[in-house]
Amino acid sequence: MSTAIAVEGVSKRFRWHGDRRDSLKERVFRGKPQHVKEFWALRDVSLEIPAGTTFGLIGHNGSGKSTLLKLLAGIHRPTSGSIITRGRISALLELGAGFHGELTGRENIYLNGAILGLSHKQIDAAVDAIVDFSGIEEFIDVPVKVYSSGMYVRLGFSIAVTVDPEILIVDEIVAVGDEEFQRKCFDHLHELHRLGTTIVIVSHALGIIENLCDHAVWLDHGKVMGLGEARPVVRQYLDAVNEDEAAQSGSVGDDRGASSGARLGSGEVRVTKLEYLDGGGAPSQVLVSGEPATFRMHFFAEEPVADPVFGLGFVHESGVNVAGPNSSRSGLSPRLHPGPGWVDFHVPRLTFQPGSFEVTTAIVHKGHVYDYAERLFDLKVRGGGTDEPGLVRLPGSWSIPDPSVESAPVGADVAEE
Amino acid sequence: MTSLREDTPRGEPTAPSRGSPPKGAPAVSSRAHLGVWHYRALVFNFARRDLRARYKGTLLGFAWSLAVPIATLIIYSLVFGTIFKGKPPVLGNGEKGPFFVWLFSGLAPWGMYAVTLGTSIASLLGNGPLMKKIYFPVYASVFGSVVATFYQSLIELLMLLVILIVLGNIGLTWLLLVAWIALFGVFVASLSLMLSVLNVFMRDTSYLVGIMIQMQFYLTPIIYPISIVPGSLRGIPLRSIIEYQPMAVFVEMFRSLVYDLQLGRGSVWSVAVLYTVTAVGGAALVYRRWGQDLSEEL
Repeated sequence: MSTAIAVEGVSKRFRWHGDRRDSLKERVFRGKPQHVKEFWALRDVSLEIPAGTTFGLIGHNGSGKSTLLKLLAGIHRPTSGSIITRGRISALLELGAGFHGELTGRENIYLNGAILGLSHKQIDAAVDAIVDFSGIEEFIDVPVKVYSSGMYVRLGFSIAVTVDPEILIVDEIVAVGDEEFQRKCFDHLHELHRLGTTIVIVSHALGIIENLCDHAVWLDHGKVMGLGEARPVVRQYLDAVNEDEAAQSGSVGDDRGASSGARLGSGEVRVTKLEYLDGGGAPSQVLVSGEPATFRMHFFAEEPVADPVFGLGFVHESGVNVAGPNSSRSGLSPRLHPGPGWVDFHVPRLTFQPGSFEVTTAIVHKGHVYDYAERLFDLKVRGGGTDEPGLVRLPGSWSIPDPSVESAPVGADVAEE
Repeated sequence: MTSLREDTPRGEPTAPSRGSPPKGAPAVSSRAHLGVWHYRALVFNFARRDLRARYKGTLLGFAWSLAVPIATLIIYSLVFGTIFKGKPPVLGNGEKGPFFVWLFSGLAPWGMYAVTLGTSIASLLGNGPLMKKIYFPVYASVFGSVVATFYQSLIELLMLLVILIVLGNIGLTWLLLVAWIALFGVFVASLSLMLSVLNVFMRDTSYLVGIMIQMQFYLTPIIYPISIVPGSLRGIPLRSIIEYQPMAVFVEMFRSLVYDLQLGRGSVWSVAVLYTVTAVGGAALVYRRWGQDLSEEL
């Protein structure tokens, strides 16, 4: 198999000036910038991406994924090392990045196509397919400034994938668009994959990387920590995340408040920590899909609180509210005494599919809110060897009627034709 | 089916400095080096975008591109023609030419120059966000802006030609206008590229250029004939300096072709070619040296 992208010993240094000397006066009167700070976003990264495969880039924020993506797309140049690509690249670092609001959708197709390196003729040939795929025919001759954001990204995505790229570079596209559009995106990515397009993806959705990618690289502080088949690399990464979080356990307390969402409530009792226990009852930073799990909500009561209701809310990284169990019908009617305590929510089999979730906790009483921590806690669910699509794994069993037995009458339902 | 697109190492090898990476291999990026011609579609698309955006939301729209030069023409005609009683040279057809026509034939190329530089110098800053998202050579953005302004100026030019036709001043020398526009276009585009790249690193450039253009206007024989400039001033060959500065050269060529209906002096044409070649060389140098990593600077 031939190589589509060869990255060899690539390092990338960014420099910025402590205080920029952008103006002439500053250059003249203060001389050369004194404090040039530099930062190595990538260090000695080498990898090969075979043609026709899908490749994933994972790592936490600031690990160098996006820098590597930008180098692959040619937006930046490596400080040292080499990147050799074979085939026309279409980069999707932002859907509709090149759009101009005053131009119509159709005109923007030409502009964006040209930015992607196509000639007028090539765009002429592709324009109908693009309009078709975007599904916004009625609005195609209207300036894009009146488009909804959904229409905007639809058109952007359509252009980038319909121009028949040989290498497609995609950055977190799953973060945009509605459900239907996301599905369309993924369907199309699969189709491109089938047709032999090399695809490079950055995503925080590890489930997507696991499912879509053949190979993956895990970057940390600009260095390659893992490289190879996608699944093992994702596991490796998740294990490291576990260890990291275990090392700084206890920090997932109320000190993180206000970081993600609203922290509301009167505060007589507050959630201090959310702990995840695995099937064996041992604390874990990551839960496994299909295994038993317990959510232990630690709280601290300032004064006695009677009959509170505890609630959890699970929001998937796609923004979908997946589940919101609460204790109101559990028969639980505790009396909280001042001081710390905890409450457990036990799940016999975690039906969530692998992915990242944000967890909201709430303690309420008949419409009065004691504590509401919106999406304060992070939850990572790891794959349990499943490759089903969707957010949850629906428990159930399949059956098919035995063909030797006379099947149900069909004649009544079939029209006589 | 696909050909291996391999870059050759460019620029100087990276000097190993503090915290340099383990390998000192030369940097090679995955950019395709396809040249200006390959990006013509992009240049014209940028140009179209610029034109579309320029007068959006104004009532007169495109007419504004004519209103400004016409206003200038009227003011200068009144001041220098009526008040100072400037005497224009005779037309190429031997008739006495109106002052404003002679003025117009100098203001038209000047307008192309001044407006183009003024607009395109900021084009890179305007496209900054885009350049962080997708690769395209910076010249595509600058040249797009130049093409847009030149296209607008062509209307002004046509208006002048129509007036000249009405006056019966038309000749075969007009055919050479094509050569003039090509030469002038390349000259202005190269200058624009240099200045706009410089402007990214030093935002003062655009202001500085604005002042220089204003000064250069009076150093160019547009509102006055070159003949009123003294041959030398305290040993300085003032007239030659003014006569052969780039814009004087291009304006003189243009006037010769359309107003005097003369081919123009050979020396002037050669100097123009020299300026253009120099500008192209300078632009290539600036682009190679500073124009490749602007996505990090913007």
